[in-house]
Amino acid sequence: MASTSEIRKGVVIKHQNDLFVVVDFQHINPGKGAAFVRTRMKNLASGKVIEITYKTSETVDIVSVQFQNMQYLYKNGDNYVFMNMDTYDQIEMDGDLVGTDGKYLKESLEVIVGLYEERPVSIQLPKKIQYKVVEAPPAVKGDSASGNVTKEIKLDNGLTVQAPIFIKEGEEILVNTETGEYSARA
Amino acid sequence: MFLFMSNWSDLKNNPRLKNIYETRLHILRLMREFFWSEGFVEADSPIALRLAGQEPYLNPMEVVIKNSFDSDFKFYLRTSPEYALKKILAAGWSKVFEISKCFRNQESFGGTHNPEFTMVEWYRSPGTYWDFMDDSEAMFKYVGEKLGIKNLCFGDLKVDYLGDWDRKSVKDLWMTFLGKNLDDYLSVDAIGKLVVESGLQFDQQDKYEDLFYKLFLNKIEPNLGLDKPVFVYDYPAQMCSLSKLCEHDDRYAQRAELYVAGLELANGFGELTDFKLQKINLEKDKTLRTQLGKPTWPVDEDFIAALKSGINTAGGIALGVDRMVLLFTGARDINEVIFQSVADQVNN
Repeated sequence: MASTSEIRKGVVIKHQNDLFVVVDFQHINPGKGAAFVRTRMKNLASGKVIEITYKTSETVDIVSVQFQNMQYLYKNGDNYVFMNMDTYDQIEMDGDLVGTDGKYLKESLEVIVGLYEERPVSIQLPKKIQYKVVEAPPAVKGDSASGNVTKEIKLDNGLTVQAPIFIKEGEEILVNTETGEYSARA
Repeated sequence: MFLFMSNWSDLKNNPRLKNIYETRLHILRLMREFFWSEGFVEADSPIALRLAGQEPYLNPMEVVIKNSFDSDFKFYLRTSPEYALKKILAAGWSKVFEISKCFRNQESFGGTHNPEFTMVEWYRSPGTYWDFMDDSEAMFKYVGEKLGIKNLCFGDLKVDYLGDWDRKSVKDLWMTFLGKNLDDYLSVDAIGKLVVESGLQFDQQDKYEDLFYKLFLNKIEPNLGLDKPVFVYDYPAQMCSLSKLCEHDDRYAQRAELYVAGLELANGFGELTDFKLQKINLEKDKTLRTQLGKPTWPVDEDFIAALKSGINTAGGIALGVDRMVLLFTGARDINEVIFQSVADQVNN
């Protein structure tokens, strides 16, 4: 058994005989009682997300997960295919488990994949990813005067983000994967 | 995991974060306008206190103040301006508010907490806890209408706050979400059994509050304030050191909390003004601090003396301003609504 302080995104917890991967967690302190950790986790079998709030002094059954650098190759139906960069083995990960992170993936991007008994259960994206801008409507005169300081642009993997009006087609930019927002010119 | 920053370069380059900060400053101004128009006086009380509050589960930050002879005096940064504002009531003011920077240690750097946070706390004397429920609702509507914001947003939730707000007793919520009468679960033994039956962990060390919150946080809180804001009121008396007991049932006390979209936003009391009982409760809290292995300091006798001098019945509440800004702006993390949060300063 492990302490609740070991709860992190991507760890796998055994709860009432089912396995869950942690998708998010949050420390909460009601102020009038001890501190708690609210944990959102996804059932590895059913994909169902549940929320459990542990008192910080409770113990949880964290099962061992191996973290491995892998390269994203391509999407296969709803699933995503990654390659182990040491062995060149390919694995396929359930689209449900990749979740909304899937929209940031682009060919040959390196990510950290969590493996439980060789099955991929979580991915960690880099905090910032570089993309090429493939579509950016030109700034219209008067845009900044009317308060339009951003515009929607399309990136080489199909992702769209809001970016400053000065960004042009063909430029390389960085996107913050925690907020999904434009970060800077690369 | 908390990398939602608000530093100067974010404010310069990211229009969304800039807009959040502008809204924050606007909200502070509108809040003052609201309280002034209601006849409140804005108080100004110290941040560094010789004697901090006795709340068993809060961790005040220590600071050492030196005099000109280099002698040390241990002080604490306030966790709320509560005692100071009640002393101001004792000094003769009847409606006071303060927008205060408060500090609590050992809290998470982001999410819905920052160790330094902004609180608006206000008191009416004479007044009851129903008054501050009315004030909170009126203040949110005043601020929101001026800003032209129709919904409060947290995560994927959108809450309409412009209609009538809800009020539910803790006892009603237990019946709704646990199907149990809270009257039967006011002892550690009884509530402990229910915790086990509900599939939650029970530990011999758990106090009543711990067991109450295991059930409350898992089974009730995530459902609170999803359609409209809700005031939850009348908590079991053992959890309320600074509140008056309910007239209809002295097993419960006049404490109320505001929830919006499952987020706790404010905590207030029908204030305990009986100085003898207040002293007993604070000494009990201090003993519990000792049992929990936390630092202790004497009960603030000046606060007890202020109550002894005679305060009208009073109602008072503390509301988290950062969380309020988060709801009005739909920010994703408290770090987005605070200029240079602790996480921001630690990571940069």
